[in-house]
Amino acid sequence: MSYSLRGRVESRLATLVPVVAAACVLTAVLHRWWPIEAAGLMLGLGVALDVQAYHRLLPYQPGWAALPLGLLELGILVVLMRAAGVAAPIWEAVALFAGGWTVAQALGHAGFPLLRLSYMEDGGELGRLGVASAVAAGALLAGAGATAYALRPPVVHLAAGVHQGPLVITRREVLVGDPGAIVRGGIVVHAKDVTIKNVAVVGGVNGITIDGYRGTMLDGVSVSGAKLDGIHVRLAGVVIKNCTVDMLGNPLGQGIDISYNMDMGMSMVEGCTIMGGMEGITTHSSMTQVMDNHVSRTTMRGISVTEMSMGMVMDNEVRAAHGIGIWCNDRSMCSIEHNTVVDTSGSGYGVLASFQSEADLRGNQLTANPVPFGAIVNSEVATTH
Amino acid sequence: MKVAVVGSGLAGFTAYQTLRRELAPEEIAVFGVEDDPAATFSRRATAIRQREMRSESDGHCSPVSFPGLSLRAAVRRRSPAPLAGALTDRFHPTVPEFLDHVERLRERSGWSRSLVRGRIERVHAVERGFELDGYGVFEHVLLAPGHPGLNVPEELRDDPRAVHSYEPHDYACTVTVVGAGLAAATEWLNALAAGAEVVSVRRREPLRRPLNVPRELLTRRGLAGFHRLPGHERAERLRTLLTPSYPPGRQWDEPLAHAEVEGRFRVEQSVNGSAQVICATGFLHGFRHDALLSNLVDAYGLETVGDWIVLDPDGTVPSLTRVGRTLALAGAPAQWAYPGADSIGGAKVVAHAFLRRVRACRTR
Repeated sequence: MSYSLRGRVESRLATLVPVVAAACVLTAVLHRWWPIEAAGLMLGLGVALDVQAYHRLLPYQPGWAALPLGLLELGILVVLMRAAGVAAPIWEAVALFAGGWTVAQALGHAGFPLLRLSYMEDGGELGRLGVASAVAAGALLAGAGATAYALRPPVVHLAAGVHQGPLVITRREVLVGDPGAIVRGGIVVHAKDVTIKNVAVVGGVNGITIDGYRGTMLDGVSVSGAKLDGIHVRLAGVVIKNCTVDMLGNPLGQGIDISYNMDMGMSMVEGCTIMGGMEGITTHSSMTQVMDNHVSRTTMRGISVTEMSMGMVMDNEVRAAHGIGIWCNDRSMCSIEHNTVVDTSGSGYGVLASFQSEADLRGNQLTANPVPFGAIVNSEVATTH
Repeated sequence: MKVAVVGSGLAGFTAYQTLRRELAPEEIAVFGVEDDPAATFSRRATAIRQREMRSESDGHCSPVSFPGLSLRAAVRRRSPAPLAGALTDRFHPTVPEFLDHVERLRERSGWSRSLVRGRIERVHAVERGFELDGYGVFEHVLLAPGHPGLNVPEELRDDPRAVHSYEPHDYACTVTVVGAGLAAATEWLNALAAGAEVVSVRRREPLRRPLNVPRELLTRRGLAGFHRLPGHERAERLRTLLTPSYPPGRQWDEPLAHAEVEGRFRVEQSVNGSAQVICATGFLHGFRHDALLSNLVDAYGLETVGDWIVLDPDGTVPSLTRVGRTLALAGAPAQWAYPGADSIGGAKVVAHAFLRRVRACRTR
C-alpha cells in the first residue's frame, strides 16, 4: 500500500487505541505503570518513524514489510524502555508489543477497509475515524498521565540530624533524607510502593526491614551497625540501588538478604558497596539481579545465590572474601558474568557451584583465589570466555 | 429510481456492487446489452488464452478489498501459498477464479433486477438530473461505456493475414505480433507454445511493470501530485503512464530467451512475410471514438485536453455536476481523474467516489 503521511499517522494511532486501552487495563490489574509507559513509547516511536523515516523511504510498502519493520520497532522500543527506565518485564512487554502488532495487521488488512470503503485509495487515511482515534489515544494517555500524577505518593523529607527509630513506614510514600539525616535503630517498611532515598541508618536488629510488601525502592541509603542484616527482605519485591552497607565487626551478619520472593517477580541490587559481615549479598528462593556491586572483607561468602534461586550476577567486584567469592548453591541456577573476584582467602573458591546447582560463567576475572572455580555435589559449571 | 449506471461491463458492475452497499436493486438502473458483466472480458481473455489476471488479490469487483481473492483462493486450494503470495505482491488470481467471483457477486447482488436492456446514445442534463434516452430522469449517472473498439493499425486493416489479439484465432507456423503490452507478451508465449516462429514488431522496447500504472498512483499519495499538474502536462504524463507494459518475471523471460536461442523469436521493425499478423495493439483511445461521450462533449461544450474529457479528481464532469446531481465517468474514460481507471481497482475507486456523491445527496 502507498500510504500518505496523514494516512500513516492516522492508521498508526487508530491501531494503537486498543493497545493503549489494553495497557490501561493491565496497569489497573497489575498495579504497575510499565504497560502504559510502554504503550506511550510505542505510540511516540511509531509516529516518529512514520514521519521521519517510513514516509520518505517507503513510497510503497508491500505486505511482507510489516514483519521486519515490526521487529525493528520492537528492538528500538526495548532500547528506549531501558534508556527511559521503564521497569517492564521483558517478555510481558514483548507480548504487549506483539499483541499490538497483530491487532494492527488485522485492522490494516481487514478492519479498516471494512469500516471505510476508500481506505486503500486514500492511502490509509481514516477521515473522522482517524481524528477520533488520535483524540482517543491522546485522551487515554493523558488520562493515564493525569492519574499517575494524582496518585503520586506523598514526599516526606527527613530533616538533617539524628532521628530515633525504629522508624515504621505504614503508608505508600517517598521518604527523602536531607543531607545529614540519620535514623538510629532501623527502618521497617510496612506498606507497598515505598521509596526511601538518601537516608543513613545506624544500628537496629536489621538496618532496613521489608517483609511482605511489594514495590519498595531503596536508593542511596547507607546502613551501618546492624545486628543481623543490613537490609533484610522477606517475601517482598525490591529494587536496591547505590547503597552502602557497613557490616565490619559483625562476623555473623549479612549485608543484604533477599529471601523467599520468587513469586514477586525480579528484584535488583545494583551499585551497592558492602563491607564485612558473614555474607555480602545473599538470595534464597529468589529471582534477583545482582549487578555492579562492590563486596569486600566478608567472613564466609561475598555473594551467594542459594536455595533454588535464579539469578544473574554481573559486573560485580568481590574482594578479600574469606571462603567463597560467588556461591551458587542448593539447586540454584546462576548466570555469572563479567565479575572480578580477587584475593579470596582460606581454602575457598573464587566461584563455587554446589548441591545440584548450575552456573554459567562468562568473562569473569578470577585472580588470586585458592581455587578459581569449581563444582561439587552434582553441580555443573559451564564456562565461556 | 435515482441512480443509473450506463454500461454493464466490469466497470459498471463494480460500480453497481458499490452502490448496493446503500441502495436496493430497485433504486439502481444499469443500462447494457449483456446479462453477464464479464462477457466481454471473458471473450477477450479466452482469445489471448490468458490464464492469470494481471491484478492482485484485491482486483475483484467487491466494494471492499477484504477478503481478497488470495484468501478465497487459500480456502479453496487449502494452501497458505496464495496468502504468502499476496504479502509479497506475487499472487495473481487465475482468470477462472476471477470469473467465478464475478458470477457469485452477480447472483447475490440482484444485478438482473437492476439491468435494463438498452443502449444509451445520449445524456441530456435537466434541472433535477439527467434524462437518458426516454428511460427517465436520474439524479446520479455513472457512464461506464467501456472501450470504444479494438485498435488495428491503419496499414493492417485490409491485410487478410491480420487478426486482432482479442478476436478468436489460432496460430499459423509463422506469426508476427504487433505491440508491446501484456496482450502482445501473452501472444508471444502462446504462439511459441503452439510451435510457431514468432516475430515481435514494436515501436519501443516493452516497459516492465507489475501493474498497468505505478503503485503510488493507486492511492492519494501519488494522485495528489498528478491532480496538481496543469492540463497539458497531465495529458503528457498520462500518455507516458499508459505506455504498453507487461509484468517482470521469469515466466515471461525464460521462454523468450529459449526461443531466441533456437531462432524462433526475434524483434523486427516492420511486419514481414509471416503467415499471420496478430495485432496486440489494444483499444481505440479517446472520447471521439465513443458516440455517447462524443455527443456529450459536443452538446455541452465540455472541456477536453487531447483525447480526454477533463474531470474532477472524483471522476465527475465538473460543468454538469452540482449539488443534487452527478455525472461521472468510469473505466478508461476516467483516466483523467485516475490513471489506473482502466482496471478493476480503478473502477472501484471511481465507484467509491460516486457512492460518496450519492450518499451526500440522498433525500429519502
